[in-house]
Amino acid sequence: MFRRILIANRGEIALRVMRACHQLGVEVVAVYSEADKGARYLRLAHDTICIGPPRSAQSYLDIARIVSAAEVADVDAIHPGYGFLSENSHFAEVCRSCNITFIGPSPEAIDLMGDKSKAKAVAKKAGIPTIPGSEGPVTSEKEALEVARQFGYPVMIKAVAGGGGRGMRMAHNDVSLVNGYFAARNEAEAAFGDSGVYLEKMIEKARHIEVQFIADGHGQVFSLGERDCTTQRRHQKLIEESPSPVVTPELREQLGTAARSLCRQANYVNAGTVEFLLDANGRFYFMEVNARIQVEHPVTEEVTGIDLVEAQIRVAAGERLPWRQEEIRIEGHAIECRINAEDPDSGFKPSPGLITTWIPPGGRNVRLDTHAHAGYRIPSFYDSMIGKLIVRGRTRDEAIATLQRALDEFVVEGVKTTIPLHREILRSEAFRLAKMDTKYVETHLLGDGPR
Amino acid sequence: MAARKRAGERPAKAVAAPQPSDAEVARLERLIALMNEHGLTELELGSDGRSVRMSKTGPANYAVGAPAVSPAAAPAAPAKAAKAAGEPFLSPMVGTFYRAASPEAKAFVMEGDSVKADSTLCIIEAMKVMNEIKAEKPGKVLQILVENGEAVEYGQPLFLIQR
Repeated sequence: MFRRILIANRGEIALRVMRACHQLGVEVVAVYSEADKGARYLRLAHDTICIGPPRSAQSYLDIARIVSAAEVADVDAIHPGYGFLSENSHFAEVCRSCNITFIGPSPEAIDLMGDKSKAKAVAKKAGIPTIPGSEGPVTSEKEALEVARQFGYPVMIKAVAGGGGRGMRMAHNDVSLVNGYFAARNEAEAAFGDSGVYLEKMIEKARHIEVQFIADGHGQVFSLGERDCTTQRRHQKLIEESPSPVVTPELREQLGTAARSLCRQANYVNAGTVEFLLDANGRFYFMEVNARIQVEHPVTEEVTGIDLVEAQIRVAAGERLPWRQEEIRIEGHAIECRINAEDPDSGFKPSPGLITTWIPPGGRNVRLDTHAHAGYRIPSFYDSMIGKLIVRGRTRDEAIATLQRALDEFVVEGVKTTIPLHREILRSEAFRLAKMDTKYVETHLLGDGPR
Repeated sequence: MAARKRAGERPAKAVAAPQPSDAEVARLERLIALMNEHGLTELELGSDGRSVRMSKTGPANYAVGAPAVSPAAAPAAPAKAAKAAGEPFLSPMVGTFYRAASPEAKAFVMEGDSVKADSTLCIIEAMKVMNEIKAEKPGKVLQILVENGEAVEYGQPLFLIQR
């Protein structure tokens, strides 16, 4: 096991990783930017190092500063959390060249999964259904038109290097396709420095289903059930649950097998997630692989009883996971709400600032992963997520009832949050009867429609 | 408290242009937080030409402003000034602090030395790169605050310099 781990992240996930380290008896070094100076979660670290000014480009995204901190603090390993440098293969490579273990997949696997068209090719090779579309990037509007006409509208135009809904456009006809092609290219160039885009047939009324997998360095690959992340707003996940209310045991088996063979095909070691779209007829299609721990990993932890971050650390330290696939059981039901400091009433504008009142929910089957507290000042430089409320129950209905009362207990003042929106979603029949699709919240609850 | 923000430049690699705006915003935000925390209604802070004055007594005061300059809030300032004979020189990066180019070489600066803007004050080693840290402004080194070979973090005071 490692002696000392540096966490190259901040906020909620930094605290989450810290907790896993404490349980493993591993020392923790936390890095922070000037905007996070004095944050309470930093006190739980054995050592803290200020790495730069508030802007993430000069702090949490600056490889040289983080690796320098790791060297100064003399750590064995770095946990990247999610976001920031978690899927940066160059960072993983620099860690390797400095003899610091990167707690995540190899740079080669990150590269393979990070390039969406390469990842799709790997999925095909592993025998997984993929969304019909262009073979690799399209390089001209003429080519885009040909592909779109071949598979039929509507189509999605997506950035090769994309994520989080950026560099993505929907097209229903030739005109919107040509416009969307150029718009997506520009957006992708600006956001990722890579203007490559590809085309996919749009799967309508789809549910977003993803499978958690983890592989150790001893050739073992496990799938840990699915998460249903259908409740989204503009491709941003709001609520995640496990198991999915629409996945049958047979389908779960198929999805798990698909995820495990993809993981093997990519020589992937450590935790990752395969995202699928499930259409109205129960057919699933490979979407992408997230080569990191995900925000919504706690719902999987709640139904499997497995500490995923601890497992990540053990795998990175070379340990063999002491499990058998057939022993991994999905028990009960877990749901997570992302609590963001945003104002749902004014276009989800970030709402940074001082939290004046913070009364967290509690009681049976309630878990709150957060670094926030009364008196905490949410910096304006980073992501607006300030916590995750996770509940569990023996059944989905029980979990929903627990979540509703937990949301009702939760009081946050001083900043606007998504708590009222979550209450509303939970009251909706579409959520209760599992009739959501990925566009439901924006079209039915918010009425702000697709972009 | 008089933490002057230095942009995170790295002489050896010349990346990262200074970002005064964000740093300033962060600094102001922190000051506002401090005012709220301690129930202050007015706060004035000044160092080398950059000074900030904040008042919570309402917009009227601010607008009419100029003649009604801080009648009571003054006492805080002199206490600061007495100590601030030297200005802290903050580390622009995380790394290992060295006072000389090699273990045998003599130190770049000693306490009491006068330095020019382009004088090297120290080296900070980050990722096997030796970054020469320049004084940037002329002055006199009053005190060296860090031991040779010590690990330093971003924003840590390295020297006290009289400008």
